Amino acid sequence: MGRLQHFFSWFKSQGAPIDEDDARVLRLEFQSRYHQFKLLLNANNQALEIMTELEQAMTGNVPFGMKFIRSRTMGVYTRVYQIVKHLHALAPGKYKALSDRLEAIRLSLESMLITQRPVETTGPLILPFSILDKTFADQAGMKMASIGEIANRLNVRVPDGFVVTAKAFRLFLEQNDLKTEIQRRIQSAEEEGHHQLYTTSADIRRLIQDAPLPQDLEAAIMAAYQELASRRNREPNMAVRSSALNEDREGASFAGLYHSALNVSRDHLADTYKQIVAAAYSPAVMAYRFSRGLADEDTEMCVGVMEMVDAVSGGVLYSANPMNIRDRSVIINSAWGLPKAVVDGTTATDLFQVTKSPALSITHRNIAAKEKKYVCYPGEGVCRLDDTGQEMKRASLTDRQALDLAALAVKIEDYYGCPQDIEWAIDQSGEIILLQCRPLQVNSDAPAPLPPSGDHDDRPPVLFQGGITASPGVASGPVYRVMKDVDTLQFPDGAVLVTDRALARWAALLPRASAVVSEKGGLTGHLANVAREFRVPALFGAAGVIDRLSGQGQITVDADDCRIYPGQVRSLLDISDRPPPRNLMEGTPVFELLEKASELIIPLNLLDPDSPGFKASNCRTLHDITRFCHEKSVHEMFRFGKAHRFPERSSKQLRAQIPMQWWVLNLDDGFRTDVSMERYVDIDNITSMPMLALWAGITAFPWEGPPPVDGKGFVSVMFQATQNQALLPTVRTTMANRNYFMISKNYCSLQSRLGFHFCITEALVGDRTTENYVSFQFKGGAADFNRRLRRVRFVKEILDFHGFRTEVTKDALRARIEQYDAEIMVAKLKILGYLTIHTRQLDMIMANPAMVERYRVQIQKQIDAILAVSHAPVG
Amino acid sequence: MTPMKLLLVDDETDFLNTLLKRMQRRNVDVQGVGSGESALAWLATHATDVVILDVRMPGMDGIETLREIKKKFPLTEVIMLTGHASMEVAIEGMEMGAFDYLMKPMDMDELLYKAEDAFKKKMIHEGKIRQMAEQLR
Repeated sequence: MGRLQHFFSWFKSQGAPIDEDDARVLRLEFQSRYHQFKLLLNANNQALEIMTELEQAMTGNVPFGMKFIRSRTMGVYTRVYQIVKHLHALAPGKYKALSDRLEAIRLSLESMLITQRPVETTGPLILPFSILDKTFADQAGMKMASIGEIANRLNVRVPDGFVVTAKAFRLFLEQNDLKTEIQRRIQSAEEEGHHQLYTTSADIRRLIQDAPLPQDLEAAIMAAYQELASRRNREPNMAVRSSALNEDREGASFAGLYHSALNVSRDHLADTYKQIVAAAYSPAVMAYRFSRGLADEDTEMCVGVMEMVDAVSGGVLYSANPMNIRDRSVIINSAWGLPKAVVDGTTATDLFQVTKSPALSITHRNIAAKEKKYVCYPGEGVCRLDDTGQEMKRASLTDRQALDLAALAVKIEDYYGCPQDIEWAIDQSGEIILLQCRPLQVNSDAPAPLPPSGDHDDRPPVLFQGGITASPGVASGPVYRVMKDVDTLQFPDGAVLVTDRALARWAALLPRASAVVSEKGGLTGHLANVAREFRVPALFGAAGVIDRLSGQGQITVDADDCRIYPGQVRSLLDISDRPPPRNLMEGTPVFELLEKASELIIPLNLLDPDSPGFKASNCRTLHDITRFCHEKSVHEMFRFGKAHRFPERSSKQLRAQIPMQWWVLNLDDGFRTDVSMERYVDIDNITSMPMLALWAGITAFPWEGPPPVDGKGFVSVMFQATQNQALLPTVRTTMANRNYFMISKNYCSLQSRLGFHFCITEALVGDRTTENYVSFQFKGGAADFNRRLRRVRFVKEILDFHGFRTEVTKDALRARIEQYDAEIMVAKLKILGYLTIHTRQLDMIMANPAMVERYRVQIQKQIDAILAVSHAPVG
Repeated sequence: MTPMKLLLVDDETDFLNTLLKRMQRRNVDVQGVGSGESALAWLATHATDVVILDVRMPGMDGIETLREIKKKFPLTEVIMLTGHASMEVAIEGMEMGAFDYLMKPMDMDELLYKAEDAFKKKMIHEGKIRQMAEQLR
């Protein structure tokens, strides 16, 4: 790059004849920088996505192993490495400190990942339920670790049993070299498309079932069974259930997709184990994984083997209403016989609803005619019976049992701190036995089908509903709208930050905000990340929310439920005072490692890009580096027009109806057809979206000519003109009246020197909203400094009003606006195009308040007219 | 712009063949070879823009192959592919000038986007070199 710059200066010294070479260098330079910039933004987005994944893992509600930590750490590091590389390419030598910071973080991360190799290669093949608790989640899978935790910490009765661990799974797949074979087949299934899924799935499952179990493993399974049999004084049949390591991952629940085998006899345990492992490759699971983009490698099947309960009745209960996150009553579905009838949904079931407060009581009871039931065959397997007796219409639970089940639900929910989905059975002696348990997936979009439980009658009608939970929780505060920087100055402590875009720079307000509501934005942005870090509830992607909240004072934001209410809703705020959900992975070696690694990755310390602390040497985490590079890359990218000389002779003159000269240089794909042999280019031949928008603003209204100047203003101009020859209209220099566009399809840089002032506009506008950017600089004038200053402030006020972020230094104005969709950016560019023309020489009248007011009104009126035209429906 | 010429290098024949088939179906100009050695032999006689290179191969492994490619054909862009996550190898590869590093199994579209980005980089780079050469004449 240094050499290239050398060439630049060398060309320049040669003068006009190599102007075309200049243009070619410039085009290449532009394409190169633009490409670097795009690559940087891609890497930036990927890095943020991985950070969000890590952060979700940190809540500990999802089991994961070393593989997860290694691959994500590597993923995020390599993305940030690339980000830094691209920034170095955009601004060679300027941000050297970044490399040192990145290297320091890498060394710490590496030493962590190398020195600690927990659980991966060690650990037993079998874990008995009696020693199981949550700390075994990475060996036993979430489902089984949960059962162990409940049995051993809460003294809830569960069947006797054991887990065949993740280590056993790996041993099985490695011993038979199954893994490579499976990978191959999956790759080819992806290639062939979904119609091939069934054959591939069948092939893989046959492979697994035909492979012999490693001898150690089979022996270990049988030994564990014999121990259990001697404890029970008989040889019971067993239920065999999957407990995959990535099962129940938030938003990617495999609920019901994996397999359970019921009432399996001793002789078939080994085969059944393989059958359950094979179910990880059923067509449904494979299709699900493809559609969710889950890597097959992330799946490790642990298998629970537990004594079969010969149930009198059984079913599923939810410790809260799954269709309505704020309805806290317990919902119990029950049927005669095994819970399978309820789980599979093959028969009508009894429904009990139990309210939790003030005391447990049944509020709703719906007894169905249960025509089918499942029972155990004496030998092996289960059978479905048609139930026609009197039993069919009787309640499958007594009220006492329903209340006991509800009490159990409350106990487990309180322990875990979040609603639970529990499978249970009642055995021949009438005792409740817990079979499975996992966090409840609540559907917050669905309307509540059940009558309200009466838990929270103070909820007023909803003000707004929709969007996504970017950070959980409930909070209340006054509405405060933040659309531009100047709004942040008066942000009151404890207010709800309401904005249209989830911009990173609002992060500085989060420590003082009670909640954040944004029209745009998702889970993976900087702002969402920081909101979670500060535990500020955040509702993003809430389209239309600004209008809905206008004129509102105090509101309550229920981010969990994606709803906003007027006033303070006490009952909701009380809910949010509950302790946060228990962290299931806490205490495991892998979790501790994740915590340590995350400290170097996730926290964002560089919150405010305008503060003096926002510099490379202060980057302490990969997130800091990402944020810093993003901010600086924008800055570097949009200095292009300013930093490069315009090669006049290679540009085309724009055929325009207005009496000014406009020159256009095509940097890449800015022209529809090739005009290299011509002198002129027509506006119809321009494809550049930002240039066309500017042009629409430039040509919207004819310029009225210079304002009528009072005596003092004229004297001021004359005085300045004697100081600077270029200001005199009669002294024509090449620069004085020419305006230069440099364009590609999505990019435009406009330098204009109209009369006495000078503007630079740079814009990138396209389909990728997050890359959209407009910057505007305005400087100069013919009048004295004071009047120029007043004009700059006059323009600043107009731009502030239209949502630009502005900054004035001396008599220069800088304004920028970013990350709006193309339609809005086009409107903003029209305003800039208009202002470029119509603020000409306004500095002269700045000492005359009446004139200033007249122009202010006129400018506002004309801008409104331009925007009204652009918003009118087409045709 | 001339169309992009790709070379896939992987010892896993099934994987290689399916990838080739999928890319050819999208009219990508692509060839495949099964080892680092044959990749270098191919490059010596065929103009190639982007190489997609498996890291773990018998004989010359991916890193060695990358080093040789960068030495003999410095303008050719290389995307590394790997079945397992290793930060050391990723960094080594990128410091030796690999364009990017992807984990298997990867998304086909993602791989093609990466290849296109790498190709664009190569085009720009070559343009600059041509420019300099002309100026120096």
